[in-house]
Amino acid sequence: MFSHYIDLSWRSFKRTPLVSVLMVMAIAIGIGVTMTSLSVYHMMSMDPIPNKSSQLFAVQLQSMDEGETWFSPDSIPYQLTYKDTDHLLNADLPYKRAALMKTGFSVHLNSDKIKPFLETARVTSRDAFEMFNLTFLHGGVWSLEQEQNAAPVVVISETMSKKLFGTDNGVGQTLYLDDLSMRVVGVIQDWQLHVKYYDPNNGAFNDPEQIFIPFSLIKAHELNTWGNTNGWKHEPVKVFNDKLESEKVWLQFWVQLNNDSEKQAYSDYITNYILDQKKLGRFTREQPEFKLRDVNEWIIYRQVVNEDNKIMVALSFMFLAVCLANILGLLLAKFLRRAPEVGVRRALGASKRQVFYQHIVEVGMLGLFGGVLGILVAQLGLLGIRQSYSYYESLANMDISMLMTAPIIAISACILAGIYPAWLVCRTTPSTYLKTQ
Amino acid sequence: MLEIKPIINALLRSKVGALLLLIQIAITTAIVSNAAFIINDRINYLNQPTGYEEENIFKFNVMTFGTDVDLIQQIELDEDRIRQLPGVVDAVQISAIPLSGGGSSTSFRLKPVPEKSKSVNASYFETDEHGLNTLGVNLIAGRNFTQEEVVINRDFTKYPNVALATKALMDELYPDGDGLGKTIYTGDKPLTIVGIIGMMKGPWLKLEERKDKSVIIPMLDPSKLHQFLVRTESGRRAEVMTQIEDLMHESYAKRVIQDLTGLDKKKADYVAEDLLMMRMLVILISVLVLVTALGIFGLTLFNINKRTKQIGTRRALGARKSAIIKYFVVENSLICIAGLVLGVCGAVFLGQQLMAHYSVPALSYWYVAVTAVAVFAMSLLAVIGPAKRAANIAPSIATRTI
Repeated sequence: MFSHYIDLSWRSFKRTPLVSVLMVMAIAIGIGVTMTSLSVYHMMSMDPIPNKSSQLFAVQLQSMDEGETWFSPDSIPYQLTYKDTDHLLNADLPYKRAALMKTGFSVHLNSDKIKPFLETARVTSRDAFEMFNLTFLHGGVWSLEQEQNAAPVVVISETMSKKLFGTDNGVGQTLYLDDLSMRVVGVIQDWQLHVKYYDPNNGAFNDPEQIFIPFSLIKAHELNTWGNTNGWKHEPVKVFNDKLESEKVWLQFWVQLNNDSEKQAYSDYITNYILDQKKLGRFTREQPEFKLRDVNEWIIYRQVVNEDNKIMVALSFMFLAVCLANILGLLLAKFLRRAPEVGVRRALGASKRQVFYQHIVEVGMLGLFGGVLGILVAQLGLLGIRQSYSYYESLANMDISMLMTAPIIAISACILAGIYPAWLVCRTTPSTYLKTQ
Repeated sequence: MLEIKPIINALLRSKVGALLLLIQIAITTAIVSNAAFIINDRINYLNQPTGYEEENIFKFNVMTFGTDVDLIQQIELDEDRIRQLPGVVDAVQISAIPLSGGGSSTSFRLKPVPEKSKSVNASYFETDEHGLNTLGVNLIAGRNFTQEEVVINRDFTKYPNVALATKALMDELYPDGDGLGKTIYTGDKPLTIVGIIGMMKGPWLKLEERKDKSVIIPMLDPSKLHQFLVRTESGRRAEVMTQIEDLMHESYAKRVIQDLTGLDKKKADYVAEDLLMMRMLVILISVLVLVTALGIFGLTLFNINKRTKQIGTRRALGARKSAIIKYFVVENSLICIAGLVLGVCGAVFLGQQLMAHYSVPALSYWYVAVTAVAVFAMSLLAVIGPAKRAANIAPSIATRTI
């Protein structure tokens, strides 16, 4: 019966080509506009590390004095001081943890083979690779000993290895970061990430770094951050060590806590740490205040999805509503004109339910056409976005889930719009139309 | 006169079509007025005056990885060599690039720390005496600082004691306008303001309270990574830019030249997001208006088809064509006005919601009024065609079927 209804729908589609095409166009434009903004929204707000997002926590400490305010929503600094980061990194605890900082160097091979280029780098600690699901293709992470002794070792991405050494296995090779000669100990698979959740400070949609070096190099080689440094009180910084000792915040810290009891234990640890520091004259607030936010909470808190996009999504759904009101009107016109035909079918024994079902199949088909065409419209829209804003290059795309969503939204929206006209037409009384034939 | 009563009676008998039209008009009014308002807000933001000849200025970064060179001497040498290039007006090493979205800011105060005093957050640029000329901004009072006043920061023991500030910052710190020659403090360090700059935007355009407030401090801070700013004669920027990399490598090779970009391009990158939003909204409202117009058109046609007999009867009984046209125009106007009333309320509500949740300024009611008038005009245009078609229905049609 279903295939027969499909056949009937197709015939009816061909009988009024203009109105049918208009309806499909209206759905396609509505779906296209909606899917364009929804795809960008979806890419921005997507869980970047689904299998671990509830176990990775960004650590924030309220290190400012009472009464000091900050531009974050809850007035807690986004980043940490060097003192706190160093302490948390070296704490005698069983949890995986990662201290992070963005920096950058002139990368070269101390020869004419490669023209020196400027490249950002990520200073981090050993656990980070496992925490953030980075896969080693060759070699591995530097040893604990190397980390503690500020050894000149580096982990690079596959792409960086190819660029510098012409092979994806650059392990054992030497590269220069400024004037530091560094030995490659590991090559990781390229880090594919839409949202740089581990450090959204300087643009959440920039690409992740491709060079990783041990955290201890900061102190050993006075590495400056390429990210933000924020201060809340006046502290003269004359030499690099002043910065390490200061209350300025410029580092990121993540910890992996696999369950609630671990999270509780870690919270207790931090509370005690703050109380200890209080005795030294830091953390002067009444109540120790800190935050552990998991990946998704962190993305929301850091407002990764920008306002414009949220406004756009809301407006496009309203736009879709207008398109649907339009389709509803056209469907009414189309179905009611067909009342005599329906009257004959009812007289020949078709039940109301069958008539209703037949019309719903018909609007479903319109929805499918509109949805497929809508995907094309959305692709055009996304292409336009990529053209006019290269920063959204990786965001302005439809993934599989969005490609599936488009026809589903289109069909269900159409069926919603079609219920009333279909219901109206199935209530046709056969006698009225049999009289005048 | 306008036969409103029978029209309303007829409308009440076939509610659905009219209701759909009403909903469309209401949502369209709400969206278009808010979107047009946001678009205008963005246009003002994108076209705000900056105080620079953006098309004659470019920047580049220099990252020195060689260690056998004195950075300060090298910077001085680089500046001289660039200034000698034909077509260059001036060039300078500077700590931040305006309109780029990246820079530094700090609090400037009337009294030194730890004393309590009024403090204002402003962006600051560290550069030498050529900075003012390279930026090409105008002093409206006082003087530029001199070469002798520039501090070369090798060991952080010295700090400059003079600075230039923008009028916007001085007006905030000295509302009486007597700030020239006064001392302001950053932390505990005093800076005497020797010159006041007129229009000059800082690195950030988004932060409303900070974008016009900047301080120029006479200081050279030699670090491995530093930025140069160059202003050229009109129309000669491109040719100067092509020579930069070779010129820099000629004088010292162990460094990387990067981000050689015009100031107009820097600004374009910085505002790209807002431009994108503006374009998307323009497309959205254009398509929306089109869809709504087609909807009105389609529904009126449908109504006419339904009422062919009724129209034929009226014509047979002596109604003029103009009366038929009037009937449909009035009917459509009634629906439209009802939709507009709902839409205006919707627009105000949506505006309030946007303002409550996002950084959208308060909706100006002008936009709602103008949108309402435009939507009304559009609906009239959309109904005229079908109404004329209705008027052409021959009276004989009515007598054909019973």
